[in-house]
Amino acid sequence: MDSCQPDEKLDLAGVPCPQNSARTLIKLEGMDSGAMLEVIIDDGEPVKNVPPSVEEEGHRVVEKVRTGDRWKILIRRREE
Amino acid sequence: MGIYLDNAATTRVDPAVASEVERVRRSAEGNASSIHQHGVNAAKHIEKARNIIAGSINAEAEEIVFTSGGTESNNTVLKGVVSLSSNEKKHIVISAIEHPSIIETARWLEEAGISVTYVSVDRDGFVSASDVEKALTAETVLVSIMHANNETGTIEPIKDIGRACTERGVLFHADACQSYTKIPLDVKEQNVDFITLNAHKIHGPKGVGALYVRKGVKIAPLLHGGEQEATLRSGTYNTEGIAGFGKAVEIAHTDDVKKMTELRDWFSKELSENIEGVLLNGPDTQRLSNIINLRIRSVDGNRLAAELDRRAISVGRGSSCSSSKSTPSHVLLALGMDSKEAEESIRISLNKWTRKKELGIVVKNMIEIVTELRMV
Repeated sequence: MDSCQPDEKLDLAGVPCPQNSARTLIKLEGMDSGAMLEVIIDDGEPVKNVPPSVEEEGHRVVEKVRTGDRWKILIRRREE
Repeated sequence: MGIYLDNAATTRVDPAVASEVERVRRSAEGNASSIHQHGVNAAKHIEKARNIIAGSINAEAEEIVFTSGGTESNNTVLKGVVSLSSNEKKHIVISAIEHPSIIETARWLEEAGISVTYVSVDRDGFVSASDVEKALTAETVLVSIMHANNETGTIEPIKDIGRACTERGVLFHADACQSYTKIPLDVKEQNVDFITLNAHKIHGPKGVGALYVRKGVKIAPLLHGGEQEATLRSGTYNTEGIAGFGKAVEIAHTDDVKKMTELRDWFSKELSENIEGVLLNGPDTQRLSNIINLRIRSVDGNRLAAELDRRAISVGRGSSCSSSKSTPSHVLLALGMDSKEAEESIRISLNKWTRKKELGIVVKNMIEIVTELRMV
C-alpha cells in the first residue's frame, strides 16, 4: 500500500483547466522520483481533466478524495 | 551593423531567448486554453514563465497576468480601476513624467469626467511621496507613478509612495517597464497593488508584457472574450512570446547591471572632459544603470542624433515614442527646462553587450560632430 503522506502540496482551487494540469505537471517535474504530491482542485472539469493529464505523463494518481466542492488528489511522481 | 545605444526604446533579443521562442514555436502547437494534451503542453510553457516572473518580484503565480506589453498593462490598470470604482466622483493621481501610455490614458479618462492630478517633479525628475500624499482626496481611487523614468532613468521612491497610498486606502500602480531586472522589485516590501512589466526592454520578444495584480484587488478587464487569465485578459495566448519573456527574466543578471553602471559613468566622464557644456539631465545617483540623458549647450539634439545616425550610431531623441514629434520632451520640460534646453538633449541607453570600445568610438564621433555643429 502506498504511503499517503505528501512530500509537497499544491493548492489549485479556483485555477481553471488546463492551467491546473500544467501547474501540476511543472510541480511534479521539479520533485524527486517517486515523491508524493497532494493537489487541491475544484470539482467539475478540473477533477475530470487533471488526473488523466498527469497519468498521460507517466505519473500515478494514488488517491482522490472529495471534500465539498474540492478534490484532494494524491499523485506519485513517475520514476526516472 | 553600427552601434546601437537606444536600448531604453527596445533591446536586441538575446540568442538564448530567440532559441527558446523558436523551440516553443515548433513544439507547442496547441492553444494554451484547450484542455487536450496539446493544450496542456502549451499551458506548461505559460505557467513556467509565470512562475519565473512571479518569483522575480516576490509575487504569487496567480498574481501575474500576461498582456501584449506595457501599454496594455498601463491602460488596463487605469481604465480597470476607474470603471470598477464605486466612488461617485473619481480622482486619480499620476506624475507629470509618466510614459505616454499613462498620460494619454489619464487624459482620455479626464475627457470622460474623471479628475486627474499631475504631480510635478524636481529638477532631477524625482516625485516626492509627500506631494503625492497631499494630492490624495476622499475621491482618489488610484495613484500611478513609474518605478524609473524612461528618459532620464530617475528611480522614484515607490516604496514611500506606496506606503502613503496604503495608509489612505488608495490603490497604487508602478510602471516598471524600464527598471525591471535592473533594480530589485519586491511586491511585498514596496507596497504596490499593480506593477507593469514588459519583455522587450530586457532582451525578450516584443509584444509581450505582464501586469502584477495583488491578490484580492478587483479590476475590470480591458479586453473581453474567452476569459483567459482569470477573466482579466481575454485573447489566445502568445505561447512562444510568453516563454521567451520567462527566459529573458531567467537569464537577467545583476553583473550586467554593475557593468553597465561602470560604463555609463565612464562615458559621461569622457564626454564632460572632452566637450564643453555637457550637462546631465537627471540625477547622478538613484538613476538606472543604462540611461544617460545629456544636454549639450548650443547643439541641437535632433541634429546631433541625425549626424550620429549617418555614422551608424543610434541614440534616442527625447523619448522613443515622441521622436517623430517636433515638440520637446514632456519629461524634460517637467524637469524645469525650457524648450531650447530640452531640444539640446539626447538620450543614450546601454545594454548588457555594450563595450567600452564602442563608447569610445561614440565619444570621438560626438566630439567631431559637436565641433562642426558649433561652427555653423
